[in-house]
Amino acid sequence: MTDSLLAGALSQCSGDRLRQLAVSDTGFVFDPQTGQSFTVNATGRLVLDCLKRSDGLEEAAQCLAEDCDVPLDLALSSVEAFLMQLGRYL
Amino acid sequence: MRNWRHWKVAVTGINAHAENPGPGLAVARCLVEHREFRGSVLGLAYDALDAGLYDHENCQSSYLIPYPSAGDEALLERIKVIHALEGIDAVIPCLDSELQNFISLRSELAGLGIKMLIPSREQFNLRAKNHLVDLCSRIGVAVPRSKMLTDPGFFDRVAREGFEYPLVVKGVFYDAAIVYNAFEAKAAFSRLVGKWGYPCLVQEVVNGDELNLAGVGDGQGNLSGYVMMRKRAVTDKGKAWAGVTVVDEALHATASKLVRALAWRGPLEVEVIKGTDGKIYLIEINPRFPSWIYLSHAVDRNLPVAVLRMLADEKDVQLTQHEPGTFFIRHARELIVNLKDFESVLVNGYCGGDAIDRSA
Repeated sequence: MTDSLLAGALSQCSGDRLRQLAVSDTGFVFDPQTGQSFTVNATGRLVLDCLKRSDGLEEAAQCLAEDCDVPLDLALSSVEAFLMQLGRYL
Repeated sequence: MRNWRHWKVAVTGINAHAENPGPGLAVARCLVEHREFRGSVLGLAYDALDAGLYDHENCQSSYLIPYPSAGDEALLERIKVIHALEGIDAVIPCLDSELQNFISLRSELAGLGIKMLIPSREQFNLRAKNHLVDLCSRIGVAVPRSKMLTDPGFFDRVAREGFEYPLVVKGVFYDAAIVYNAFEAKAAFSRLVGKWGYPCLVQEVVNGDELNLAGVGDGQGNLSGYVMMRKRAVTDKGKAWAGVTVVDEALHATASKLVRALAWRGPLEVEVIKGTDGKIYLIEINPRFPSWIYLSHAVDRNLPVAVLRMLADEKDVQLTQHEPGTFFIRHARELIVNLKDFESVLVNGYCGGDAIDRSA
């Protein structure tokens, strides 16, 4: 179930799609394709930034793990959880 | 030819009913607020209570013209009178129901030196609701499953016809209603046919985001300029009350395909639904600017001014990059009208700020 949710979220949140998002310093996110807007907290903004700069989940998790000084597996599960939530908005 | 920057431009559709405003006042506002435009806008109205008649910030002067049902000859006679008084350089028609008359008068008005960027009758008819499905199937654009109706008995055999409720019932020119059963459907059918005539269009409901594109076709198959918008709030009639510019390549591609297929000449609005399956479904093509066209001025892609440039044979319509993220929120306000102006409209069919005798 989680795997299929994650697969769905991954297809919604491709690197190109995420790079289109306009993210302000306050965490206000505007999607230029749909006109929708939403907010993310500081951690969400960091994960989003890692995802936009990375080629895949593992690379984004690596980036998050380094920035937050947390174990890689914890960072990876956090990135996956964030991505599944983000997929609902895109 | 006079420079377009100094033209006197007549604009129709200057009614401003809050729940469903005509596009004319927004078109006028685009023109008068453009940094290069030094000319003036003349409002052409159908009813003494059309707000644009009295909105002198946007329409320097305004005149009543005969309703479209009076026909093209009555319209021509009235325009000749107004032209003799004012010297009109161009007309931007803004209502679907009047376009047939303006199309008929294209050569007569051109003979008077009045320019219009409007489609041919064939182009106009091809994009009409009752021909849209044929056009789309020919060029590979998806449309919600639709059927033209003259018999309301259809609503009692919806399942046998391969449809299911809810359905959208649409008037041949304007207006639509979502109906959930045969009772509601027949009431909507009667109302729409009574108001707009036969036939009615019935369409399946597609779930998704409603996106709109306003654009201008050059008549050679090119979309010369466009602005894309997603509605963020709508009136009871489903008209945009708030919206935001977006960039959607699939919508742009669909609109370009339609303009190419029709070789569309003039303003248009393409209304689509981006389904939850990611596919673009064409809802309709309106043969004029939408009432939210002021947004084009706000994003420095002033499409009414682009029309003037095209009529003046300028090759470059000078639109900036299309940027997403600019919002509009419509609001309603009261125009104060003095008795003298109202009397002038009712008695002379004219309202304006100078002293020319227009009683003829």
